[in-house]
Amino acid sequence: MAKEALTLKRLVIEIAICIAILFAVMMLCAFAGSQSISFEKVFMSDGAGGIGNIDRQIFFGVRIPRIILAAIVGAALACSGVVLQAILRNPLADPYILGISSGAGLGAIIAILSGISWSFWGGSSITAFSFVGAVLTVWLVWWIGRFTGKSQVTSLLLAGVVVNAFFSAVIMFLTSIAKSNQLQSTIFWLMGNITEKSNSVLVTACVLVIFGILVLFSISQKLNVLTFGAEQAKNLGVNIKHIRVIGFAFAAFITAIAVSLSGLIGFVGLIVPHGVRLVFGPDHRRLLPLSAIIGGIFMVIADTIARTIIAPAQMPVGIITAITGGPFFLYLLARYSRKVSWLK
Amino acid sequence: MSVTIKVENLGFGYGPRTILKDISFEVEAGAFIAIAGPNGAGKSTLIKLICGLLKTDNGSIEIHSRNIKHYSEKRLARKVAVVHQEFVPGFDFTVAETVAMARTVYMGTLGFESAEDKNAIDKALRLTDTLEFASRSISQLSGGERQRVFIARAIAQDTDILLLDEPTSFLDLKHQVGIYDLLKKMQKEKGKTIICVTHDINLTNQYCDQSLLLSAEQQWQFGRTEDVFSSETIERFFAVKTFEGRVREKKFFLPLGNYQQ
Repeated sequence: MAKEALTLKRLVIEIAICIAILFAVMMLCAFAGSQSISFEKVFMSDGAGGIGNIDRQIFFGVRIPRIILAAIVGAALACSGVVLQAILRNPLADPYILGISSGAGLGAIIAILSGISWSFWGGSSITAFSFVGAVLTVWLVWWIGRFTGKSQVTSLLLAGVVVNAFFSAVIMFLTSIAKSNQLQSTIFWLMGNITEKSNSVLVTACVLVIFGILVLFSISQKLNVLTFGAEQAKNLGVNIKHIRVIGFAFAAFITAIAVSLSGLIGFVGLIVPHGVRLVFGPDHRRLLPLSAIIGGIFMVIADTIARTIIAPAQMPVGIITAITGGPFFLYLLARYSRKVSWLK
Repeated sequence: MSVTIKVENLGFGYGPRTILKDISFEVEAGAFIAIAGPNGAGKSTLIKLICGLLKTDNGSIEIHSRNIKHYSEKRLARKVAVVHQEFVPGFDFTVAETVAMARTVYMGTLGFESAEDKNAIDKALRLTDTLEFASRSISQLSGGERQRVFIARAIAQDTDILLLDEPTSFLDLKHQVGIYDLLKKMQKEKGKTIICVTHDINLTNQYCDQSLLLSAEQQWQFGRTEDVFSSETIERFFAVKTFEGRVREKKFFLPLGNYQQ
């Protein structure tokens, strides 16, 4: 599938189709929920519906913002996974490999335990703390990686693993001394949990994530070349340092935004890129935008399941992504991978 | 003839271990040059120095009268294309996609191939007889096919200079000769300057105008292939006795082992 040469026109058509699917899924999911709402009431004009149009308020005030948030988070994580897998040339790389998860987790848990609760510009203290934690940790990992070895990529991976392990231990220590009323929100955060956010946070996150994805798309052809290794990439005229710095920085940035909004949602950044690669091939000019959109679709569906399956209670969405993503990925692997031909 | 590559008093070592010492030679435009020598003599190292992957400790390398230190990756990639020895398995790109990456330096900001790029890719695929399996994945190819794909990529890069690091290792006789024929064609028809690391002295004698012979003790000899190789130099550089003969007026060497059946 998709083995003809990729042209810009073809790519634009594919992206348009995927975006159309994303919007369709978002609309459908917006009608699903513990409170059933009717299509006519939602789209009735304000005059007829009036202030008391609860369906309309739920739809536009609660569900649509949350669905947009889920889509942003999914897109950011999947896109970041694509870039890190390419740069680290490691299929197991995911957005958390650079220590983002533990750093953000530490930030969040400090915010929860210290009881600091202020908000600025519509963002909660947990969001702010986890974002700062994520960015500082990435910087720390990058710094350690740079000064430890000649093989940048390997030492960066190792630095990420070590920092992650250390911070995870600190998180567990803090969790074990936390009071029970703080424990629930901590655990939910660590399991990945999408909740309603204010519109200003939503708009800011949307703009920043889309900007980050566009920047990463601009280096996508270079990422193709980089998968052949640093030496070949250099001989093909790619400034490797430049591409690595841009790739790491923006992948880390959009992940930090996603994590600070939703907690640690596993699996999306690992599995969506692999799934898209299996179906559409490894060309990053296509892989990157399609993974972002499909990551968004996947997360919207997962979040809809998370908020409806045990309604009126809600389940952390990270559980849904792992439970549904795993088997679906195995199916894709069996269907498209030539190495497991015995399953065809 | 103009000088394309000029190596002057080149010295390089990995840490305290000296690999190359005080090497000087000039490569004329359109020449086909072999680099030969025993393992560990620094053949691959020299290739990596010329294509800018390693930095010289002493001396200088000039390409088109300009020190390679002053080339950016982009500019160097328009002058020099390299076929590396090892295949780095990565993602599952097709042959056509792999060859298309040669055009990286010519593409616009969005990274898509122009009509001119497509033309160059198509030509390279045809020249190397790789067009028939252009849509296959490179990881599914045989060693000989894959080597031709990487040569196609180097050709599509549209450079004056081609560097190849042991392009015929692991290949059967037919493919070895096929690759050398292809390189000769590139030299004759496209006027490319070719430097090729090789272990095959006999193919070198047939195809290469000049040779650089390196020893593991930092000795070196550069000149017409005809002059560089003799039973005496081969014994000195490789510590192997050979029988020297001639076929089609070209020298050939048969290694003589210590045991006989």
